[in-house]
Amino acid sequence: MNTLAWWLIRAQFRTRRVATSLSMLAIALGVALGYAIHLINAAALADFSRAMNSVQGEPDAVIVGRDSAGSVPLTVVEAIARDPAVQSVVPVIDTRVRLAGAPAPLRLIGLDVFSAATMMPKLMPRQDATATDAPIFAGGVFASPAVLRQLNAAIGDTVTLQRGDRQWTTRLAGDLPALGPDERLLVADIAWVQAHFGPDDAVGEARVRLTPDTDPAAWRDELARRLPPGLLLRAADDENARVSNLSLAYRVNLNVLALVALLTGAFLVFATQLTAVAQRSTQFALLGVLGLSPRRRLLQVLLEGLAIGVPGALLGLALGYALALAFTRLLGGDLGGGFFSTGTTTLVPAPLPALGFLALGALASLAGAVYPAYLNRRQALAHALHAGFAQTPRARPARPLVPALRLLALALLAGGLSRLPAWSGLPLAGYAAIAVLLVIGIAAAPWLTRWIFGLCAGLPLPATQRIALQNVAQAPLMAQVAAGGLIVSFALTASMVIMVGSFRVAVDRWLDDVLPAPLYLRSKATPLPEDLLAALARPDTPFARVEGMAHATLTLDPRRPNVTLIVRELDRLDPAARLPFTGPLSVPPDETLPVVWISEPLREIYGIAPGQTLRLPLLGGSVEVFVGGVWRDYSRQFGAVTIGADDYRRLGGRFQANDLALWPRPGQNAAAETWLAPYARRDGLEVAETAEIRQLSLAIFDKSFAVTYALEAAAMLIGLFGLAVTLAAGVWLRARELATLGALGFNRRMLGRAVTLEGALIAIIGLLIGLACGVAIGAVLTHVVNPQAFHWRMPLHIPWPTVLGAAALTLAAAIAASHAAARQATRLPLAQVLAGSQ
Amino acid sequence: MLNVTGLAKRHANAGRPLFSGLELTVAAGETVALVGESGVGKSTLLNCIAGLETADAGSIRIGPRAVDIVGLDETARAALRARQIGFVFQAFHILPTLTVAQNIAVPLLLRGVPLKAQPARIDALLDAVGLRGFAGRWPTTLSGGELQRVAIARALVHRPSLILADEPTGNLDPRTADEVLTRLLDNVRQQQAGALIVTHSQQVARRCHRILTLTPDGLR
Ligand SMILES: Nc1ncnc2c1ncn2[C@@H]1O[C@H](COP(=O)(O)OP(=O)(O)OP(=O)(O)O)[C@@H](O)[C@H]1O
Ligand SMILES: [Mg+2]
Repeated sequence: MNTLAWWLIRAQFRTRRVATSLSMLAIALGVALGYAIHLINAAALADFSRAMNSVQGEPDAVIVGRDSAGSVPLTVVEAIARDPAVQSVVPVIDTRVRLAGAPAPLRLIGLDVFSAATMMPKLMPRQDATATDAPIFAGGVFASPAVLRQLNAAIGDTVTLQRGDRQWTTRLAGDLPALGPDERLLVADIAWVQAHFGPDDAVGEARVRLTPDTDPAAWRDELARRLPPGLLLRAADDENARVSNLSLAYRVNLNVLALVALLTGAFLVFATQLTAVAQRSTQFALLGVLGLSPRRRLLQVLLEGLAIGVPGALLGLALGYALALAFTRLLGGDLGGGFFSTGTTTLVPAPLPALGFLALGALASLAGAVYPAYLNRRQALAHALHAGFAQTPRARPARPLVPALRLLALALLAGGLSRLPAWSGLPLAGYAAIAVLLVIGIAAAPWLTRWIFGLCAGLPLPATQRIALQNVAQAPLMAQVAAGGLIVSFALTASMVIMVGSFRVAVDRWLDDVLPAPLYLRSKATPLPEDLLAALARPDTPFARVEGMAHATLTLDPRRPNVTLIVRELDRLDPAARLPFTGPLSVPPDETLPVVWISEPLREIYGIAPGQTLRLPLLGGSVEVFVGGVWRDYSRQFGAVTIGADDYRRLGGRFQANDLALWPRPGQNAAAETWLAPYARRDGLEVAETAEIRQLSLAIFDKSFAVTYALEAAAMLIGLFGLAVTLAAGVWLRARELATLGALGFNRRMLGRAVTLEGALIAIIGLLIGLACGVAIGAVLTHVVNPQAFHWRMPLHIPWPTVLGAAALTLAAAIAASHAAARQATRLPLAQVLAGSQ
Repeated sequence: MLNVTGLAKRHANAGRPLFSGLELTVAAGETVALVGESGVGKSTLLNCIAGLETADAGSIRIGPRAVDIVGLDETARAALRARQIGFVFQAFHILPTLTVAQNIAVPLLLRGVPLKAQPARIDALLDAVGLRGFAGRWPTTLSGGELQRVAIARALVHRPSLILADEPTGNLDPRTADEVLTRLLDNVRQQQAGALIVTHSQQVARRCHRILTLTPDGLR
């Protein structure tokens, strides 16, 4: 680097320590957030696919039932095995069992050890060395190290596996040494698993490895045509796409927030560099006179921007890594989205993404420095040398109609954008609409300012107030920058508050609808024990009413996340008693046609309308069902289908409840819980009162939005700091004028008051516009971004007390910031300024 | 060193031109005083010569190779200034964030001379303007006379062929002004540069080789 450039940068850092270090911090914050989100998600995804791989191996194709209750008939497996293109087929049964003594159900994988050895080496069991026969064929189970640790059990111990009403007492015959320390599962011989838990003539899935000279894609296409409708053929890539689709919208949303933080960082660099250019305009003019070329005057400001951005971004990378580390340690590898619930997560800081974020931070600061650099290059040397910084003389609009039309066009653009559909599942047009709304806000600021001055000009004001008004009017660029920062930061904060507020109110009401019973009983993913259900059916229980519900999953599209199938006991003629419908119900044309009610996300994702019929992959076949209505669901983002238990049984399904809604008899709440307690203890069931579930749900809701609150606070701070920086610079720019006022007998206190008032005026304008933009953006977030990204719809609800409270707080902070800037104004060396030597 | 022919300049929005058909020559080693009433256009003439304002007509040839600054673009004018012209201003214009030595080194850096190549040059100039030992001082700790002597050192450090000074002693008391002027004239002669010095002071004007008066009707 050039020596002179370096001297100037160093001087800049020395003389404007606060402004440069805060800009640097803002850039660091943006980079840190983005990088932390990236690291956490990358680690979670990697964990997920690692877990996936060790269980699944790397087959060329997987054949499974589309319905999680479904299975692959052995005849199909045998037919595939006879195909000459197939090297090996591994049948697998993947089920969940409860181990006595373990709190949560465990995954039990039944496989054929010999055929699995090549495809799923990680699942290879290690036998107890002392055993004489091969225990895997004698019904022993093999546990992963994590399970052994959790159970505090040793190889050779006896354990009891339990699933619904079936039990299997067996021996821990060995371990699974190749599995990682977080993977909790059991492996047993497929024949034994089938005998105890599985269907007789079918397996859960078949994994296929093809001969090396077979084209897997062509083979899969060919087979897919021949498979019975209840079966699904999946490629390994589908699985990865599904995992990444699972959290895509959530990740993108968080990344947009990080981008906002980075943009505010860029704004701060802009404010800092603009004022830096303004303050040093005579110095730059001198350098120009001495022979610094215009290009280098431009480059110098850009370089100074980079000098803020690069260290800031480096700091941000370190900070982001620390943040991600703290987050995964404290909260597990999940950003509140609930998509990944692996235990401990290992962060892997790969060099390429790190470089990418470094570049992003540098780019943001460079972008912030571009306009100041351009202004610096444009300064007329002879003029700047004597009179200081000149704002580019802007061409006055010939008629006020032109900017009005421009604003109108922008408003129409924003409206149009907010009506566009999602783009490959992402609400990009919605984000663009938000950006346009912010531009409208910033462009409207000079207008509103002029209008307010028009109003005030006629008032008989004391000198201080008049000076303040004049100052705001005379430094439009600075006033616009300061107001712009506040508009953007307050609009974003208010809109987030509005969106989260609307969501919370909607979730609160929705919880009322979906939790009609006072008490709930839940087994985690395994059917409830038969003896409990039998006991509940007797007349002497403390319950007036019991309704069961079972959950399973369906694959409607192999590349999309699975859909939840909910089978529940409800009245086919009055489903509205249990489900919160969003529109009118459709009556099936035919008594015998099964009815399903789909959730709102399902309608959005698959474009299904109520009143139509639909083929669902149920119970190993393809079943025609009637869509009776759409119900609101905030808990299953990828869609759910509800079917009545009676319809399900009529289709040949076996209804095994895993959740129960319980209505105790009047006054018997305590008795009801006492009655349930022994079952809960014995079988590891969860009993929860509705109030607890509500509280927990809302707590989870609040936790998942905690990140956004932190970002809002950061945005507000940055906006306020932008105000302080620009005010201080404005004071400096008008130093001569203020000094003249001082010489004319305007005392320092009056000067200070004028500057404070000026800041308050700018803040009021910024907050008014920011509020209007915030409401508009809140509406876009609620009605466009949320439905498109998460398929959640909700009414707009503006929490006025919070929003106005935030505005009042910001105004107070803005006045404090202006006061700080005013103190600088009163410390100006008046005599020196007047002498013209600065 | 400086050869101005047929120079014309009229400010935008101004009624009559400040000057037209103006002729002016400054030889190597020659010091020329430019006097005239306030507002007659002395600073404007200097700005035109330095290429900070564009002339409407005429040519301004600078340096031993007589490059015409009027025909150059902004970047080339900046480069020509960096090589051939030294400036002294009424308001000193010393960069407050650089030390005295760094301020003096700026023209060398602008010419692309590596800093390490010239430490003796800066010391020599500090000596020449009587500021030995001031190298590491910050400008805010210097008096006006000292600041102007720094400016003189800066104007001479890169051995320009032309020195332009706009009221260099305007902000100084008579005794300091005399001392500063002596330093300036001595060094200009010693380096065989030409100097055009705008001044309102008869005393300053008399110490130059020639005195030119700018009037609304032209140079006399
Ligand atoms: N950018 C400009 N646009 C229009 N008129 C200008 C501009 N700069 C200077 N002038 C006018 O040109 C005239 C000459 O100005 P100049 O600064 O050259 O005078 P001067 O001889 O240096 O005066 P002084 O001795 O007071 O410094 C003045 O009338 C001034 O108002
Ligand atoms: Mg002048």
